Amino acid sequence: MSRTVLVIDDEFGIVEVLETILADAGYEVMTALHGRQGLKRMAERRPDLVLVDYMMPFLNGADLIRAMRKDPALADIPVILMTSLDPRAVTEIDGDLGLAGFLMKPFRAAAITEAVARAFRRQQR
Amino acid sequence: MSSSSVELARLPTGIPGLDAVLCGGLFQGGVYIVRGEPGAGKTIFANQACFHHVGTGGRALYVTLLAESHSRMLQHMATLRFFDPAPIPAALYYISAFRILEEDGLKGVLDLLRQEIARHRASLVVVDGLLAVAESSASDREFRKFIHELQGYAVLEGCVALLTTNGNRSAYHPEYTMVDGMITLARAHVGARTERQLEVDKLRGSESLPGRHAFEITGAGITVYPRTETLFARPSPDDKGRGQRVTTGLPELDRMLGGGIPAATATLLLGPPGAGKTVVGLHYACCAAAAEPALFFTFYETPDRLRMKAQSLGFDLDRLIAEERLEVAWAPPAENLLDAIAQRMLSAVDRKGVRRLFIDGLGGFEETATHGARLPQFFGALINELRTRNVTTIFTGETRVMIGSEVVSPIAGLSIIAENIILLRLVELRSRLYRLLSVLKIRDSDFDVSLREFHIGRHGIAIDATGDSAEAILGERDGDRPRRRVRAETGPDRPKR
Repeated sequence: MSRTVLVIDDEFGIVEVLETILADAGYEVMTALHGRQGLKRMAERRPDLVLVDYMMPFLNGADLIRAMRKDPALADIPVILMTSLDPRAVTEIDGDLGLAGFLMKPFRAAAITEAVARAFRRQQR
Repeated sequence: MSSSSVELARLPTGIPGLDAVLCGGLFQGGVYIVRGEPGAGKTIFANQACFHHVGTGGRALYVTLLAESHSRMLQHMATLRFFDPAPIPAALYYISAFRILEEDGLKGVLDLLRQEIARHRASLVVVDGLLAVAESSASDREFRKFIHELQGYAVLEGCVALLTTNGNRSAYHPEYTMVDGMITLARAHVGARTERQLEVDKLRGSESLPGRHAFEITGAGITVYPRTETLFARPSPDDKGRGQRVTTGLPELDRMLGGGIPAATATLLLGPPGAGKTVVGLHYACCAAAAEPALFFTFYETPDRLRMKAQSLGFDLDRLIAEERLEVAWAPPAENLLDAIAQRMLSAVDRKGVRRLFIDGLGGFEETATHGARLPQFFGALINELRTRNVTTIFTGETRVMIGSEVVSPIAGLSIIAENIILLRLVELRSRLYRLLSVLKIRDSDFDVSLREFHIGRHGIAIDATGDSAEAILGERDGDRPRRRVRAETGPDRPKR
C-alpha cells in the first residue's frame, strides 16, 4: 500500500509541482492551502508524512507543527519544513520543532523525493 | 484658535527621492495603488518599501495574488542591497492568496487580509496583483466593495495598504476613484533610449511634486529623481546677495570683472571648442582653499584626462584633491538622467561644502536631457539652488559659431539665468587663430568692456593687460592697415609688438 504525503503550502505553483513529483514517485498525495486547512485534512485522514511551508496564512508552519505535537493522533507524524528562509533562522525563532528534515526553496525535484524517502527510512529505524 | 483637524501621520516609503515627491510619504490608514506594466518595477517598489518599513521598526505583510513563487521573488530581491533576511518572517511575512482567491473568491481574500493584518500587527500591507481581484469580481460593484472593505481594515488597523496592479485598466475604473493615492511607474522611449518615469496621479490630503519624475533601478533598488525644476520651484533658503567677490584665478580677468566674480552668482563662460574654457575652469578650481572647496564637474573629460591636461599646464590637481580642497566629478552624458546629475552635483556641494563650482559644460546637460524643452527651467532651478547654497558657479557653453564675431547662445534663456557672461572667441587672421576674451555682463556692477587677447601656455592662461592687441587683430581682420606681427604661442609672456 502506498504511503500518503500531505503537502501544505499557500503557493499554488509549489503545491501543483509537489503533487506531480510525489505522485510520480509512487506516493499518494493530499494537499492543503494553509495550516488550518492542513489540520482539517489530517483530521479527515492521517497522512504518513507532512511537507509544510513556513510562511502561510491563518496558521504558519511552526504553529501547525506545535498543534500536531500536542495531538496524540498526529504527534508522531514526521514533518519536513519547506522554507525560503535560512533553516537556522527558523530554528532560532521556533526552537526544536522535531523536524524530519528541511527543504530550502526553491528546490529541485530530486531533492524532494530524496528528503521524503530519507524521512521514511529514519522513521522505520 | 486651535484647529479641530488632527494631522494624519505619514509613513515614509524609504525609497530615495519618492518621499520628496510625496511631500513626506504616504498616510497611515491609506490605500494606495502602484500601477505599471510588467517589468515597470512594482514588485521592487513594494518590497523596498517593506524592507525600509521593517528596518525602522514597523511590521509588514506581503500578500501576493500572482502565481509567482515567493522563494523565486525573494531570490531576486536578495540581489538588491536593501534586502535583509533577518526580519523575515518575524517582522516581514510573505503569503500567497492566489488559490484562496480562486477557491473562495474576493470574500476569502478579504477574510485572509483582515485576519493576517491583525495577526501580524502589520503597519504596512502589500497586495501584489490587484488585477487578479478585479478579474475575479463578478461586477464592478463587488470589486468596489472589496476596495471599500480593505480601506476599512487599513483605517481600523492604522496600516498603509499598497496595491500593485498592471496599468492596463482605465483611470476611470472604481479602484482609482476610491483609493487614497495612485502612483504610476512607466517607461518612456526617447529615440533608442528608455527612461523609467514615476508619477503621482493622485494623493489625497497632500500636495505632491507634479509631473513625471525619472527613476532608475540599480543594485540599490529604486531611486527616484524628482524633477529639479519642481523640487526647487522655491529655492531652499533666501538669496541674500552677499556682495563679496570671488577670484577667477586670473588676476587680469578679476580686474576686468571689477574685483572678481560676485559671490553666489552664476557665470556663463561662452566660447567655441578649443577657445580655452576648460583651462579657465582649471584656474578657477585651483584657487580652492580649505574654506572654499571646489568641485570641477565635467561631462567630457575623464578625471584622468583632466589631470593630464592640468599637469601639462602646470596645475597640481592631485595635491588639491589629496588636501580635499578639490573634487573632480565626471558624468558621461550617455544614458544618464538629468535630475540624477543635478542631485549628484548638489550632494557633492553639500558633502564638501563646495563654494566654487565649475561645470564643463552645458552640452552635457543637453545630451542627457530626453526633453530639451525642460532645459531652461531645469537649469534655472539648479542655478538658483546653487546660488542659495552660497556656491559661485561658472558653467561653460559652446557657441554655435566656431570662428568669428557672431555669438549664438547654446540654450535659449540662459543669459537671463546667468548673472555674468564671459565670452571667449577665436579670430582667424591670415594663417593663424587668435584667442580673445571679453566680459559681456556682470550683475549690478561695472566692468571693463574692452576685448583682450589671451594666450594659453605652459602656465595656463595669460591675458593681455590692455585691449591694444585685440583691437589690432580685429582692426586688421576688418580691413584696417596691417599692424600686427604674428608670434608663436609659447607661454604666458606678453607678445612683443
